Amino acid sequence: MKANPKDVLTGTYYIDGDVACGYGALAAGCKFVGGYPITPSTEAFETICRKGPLVGAVFIQMEDELGSMAAVLGAVWSGVKSMTITSGPGYSLMMENIGFAAMLETPFVLLNIQRGGPSTGVPTKTGQADMMQSRWGSHGDYELIAISPESPQEMFDYAIKAFNLAEKYRCPVMIMSDECVGHMTEKVVIPEADKIEVEPRRLFTGPPEEYLPYKPDPDLVPKMAKAGDGFKLYITGLVHDERGYPVKDEEYKSMYVKRLVDKIRLNRDKIIEIREEGIDNADVIVVSYGISSRVAIKGVEIARKKGIKVGTLRLVTVWPFPDERITELAKKVKAFVVPEINYGQIVFEVARCSHGQANVILVPHGGAGVHNPNDIADAIENAAKEEKKIEGVVEYKTRLEKLVFEGGLKLKE
Amino acid sequence: MNSIISALSKGIDKSGIDRKKISVPSDIPFMPEIIREIGVDYFQTPRGRAIAFGTGLKLGNPALKVMPVVGDLMTLGGNHFVHGAKRNMELLVICVNNFIYKKIGGKPVPSTPAAFSAYSTFEEPFNFPHLGNSCGAVYTARWTALHIDEFAESIAEALNKHGLSMIEVIAPGPNYYTAINNITLDLLNFYYENSVIKNGEDPRNIGITPDEKIVVGKFTDKERPTFIDTYNAQLSKVLGDKFTPHGPAPERTGSGGKNA
Repeated sequence: MKANPKDVLTGTYYIDGDVACGYGALAAGCKFVGGYPITPSTEAFETICRKGPLVGAVFIQMEDELGSMAAVLGAVWSGVKSMTITSGPGYSLMMENIGFAAMLETPFVLLNIQRGGPSTGVPTKTGQADMMQSRWGSHGDYELIAISPESPQEMFDYAIKAFNLAEKYRCPVMIMSDECVGHMTEKVVIPEADKIEVEPRRLFTGPPEEYLPYKPDPDLVPKMAKAGDGFKLYITGLVHDERGYPVKDEEYKSMYVKRLVDKIRLNRDKIIEIREEGIDNADVIVVSYGISSRVAIKGVEIARKKGIKVGTLRLVTVWPFPDERITELAKKVKAFVVPEINYGQIVFEVARCSHGQANVILVPHGGAGVHNPNDIADAIENAAKEEKKIEGVVEYKTRLEKLVFEGGLKLKE
Repeated sequence: MNSIISALSKGIDKSGIDRKKISVPSDIPFMPEIIREIGVDYFQTPRGRAIAFGTGLKLGNPALKVMPVVGDLMTLGGNHFVHGAKRNMELLVICVNNFIYKKIGGKPVPSTPAAFSAYSTFEEPFNFPHLGNSCGAVYTARWTALHIDEFAESIAEALNKHGLSMIEVIAPGPNYYTAINNITLDLLNFYYENSVIKNGEDPRNIGITPDEKIVVGKFTDKERPTFIDTYNAQLSKVLGDKFTPHGPAPERTGSGGKNA
């Protein structure tokens, strides 16, 4: 299905990532945004508040993030595509209803402009430390999809893709961006509506008495219905059977939860998007996502000038994780270098999948800034020289850390 | 719970509203599957989120009538209620008050009257209609689960109100609490007989205490613009013709209009 021309603000813009994501959401057909403002994601919410009413999208500033997330789910069940926008502290509050959404198989999009944490952290500066929270934050077993754009243009493009994936697999989709990409201003080209594919809701079209809300299609995703259409929906966060009625038996529990995770796991080849460059004959591969991929370009360039054979693998979708591809590459290369703005999250996924075949080096960053590309270049160089196999994840000591921990830093007076 | 469902059904009939258009988000009073038989859509949300979930349902499709049935109203859902009433979101909140967290062995709740349980609770209970009235609800009432006709009448009236309405219904708690408190009568009858109807009573005077009769009746019935009314008015003012008002044109045929 093509996008509705009314929803698409076709043109060439010079805007930041937050605004671009707002435009992307509207182009995807988002008609409801419930949110609670939080730095550094506010511009995305403001964009939808400003432009949304012109294309029939409704916004509400809720009393808190618990309410925002719950209202988004209500709006989805009333039949409209919906999203919410937040950052770290708000994201933590939303976890309750994210699990609820996974259980109800409610499609929605959440934009998390990551900032420095934990807790209030550094609200105005960047971080990439919510990546594991996006995967495991709510209790119980479930799977979802997370995307990590690296530019304002991608914020637009992947906002649309996020809505499409949410509708297709009936699951929460997280846009795990960060303050740098959110506040980075670049050229964004919004194409004509007929160039934009949007996924319609998987609605049940038969008679209401034949509808089973949790009877899956062959791809393991069930069809949805809207409130108010006479389906007499009985929808619950308790484990339920195909009718939606609560069940407690261990057989049902296994059957239901297995499908909930399998609908993503077994469709992962269709969901996963990665970008590889210079992989053939590489000794070292830099695995990165979001703003760290942008910074890594410079580090890779420096290393290549020194004659090191280095390739890049960029995780566009971070979850589900490309396990098989990492395992395959681990057999061919000496090492993976993983720069991320945290003290080790995705790097452990890389280590898990490389099964000890390749060394795995973390280039950490505490947040409130991005990597020095020279650190990434040096980590690549060291990894290329290393002849031994090293167990576990090696943490590279960055220039910033040497400054902080080796006496170079004076407290401000 | 069955007497509440039967009152809901009667009330919906009297209101003249198409059952298909009614959605019931609910948190802690898990509704049995029988709720489907009254022909509404039912959503069991996490504790306390029924009003927020209902807000999304209403804004996503303003043609729906949304009736959150809540138990954890003043704890987890307290702020959603306060803001729902403040912005006058069109919801009919049915607050089931059994004075107790029934499912987890009878822990006290914010509505548990002082000196009600074995070791007693020492906090003042909430007075729901007073809270609703103060926050801006357009309709408040309280009944016991045995006042089925009056309760159903209230549901019918409130479903036709524009804005947030709330009806508190006093329902029995678990049986072993009746023994602890020497309440040997059937609890339903106990509540019914220990209540007194005072329509139009000032909500400030209707707090529930163990020594006095429970005051039931309709306490608030007024008109205020709803969230969608003010949203449409403000955006039309700013955006003019570029803005299409959200939802169906407001009907103003309902009951109410008197300030109780």
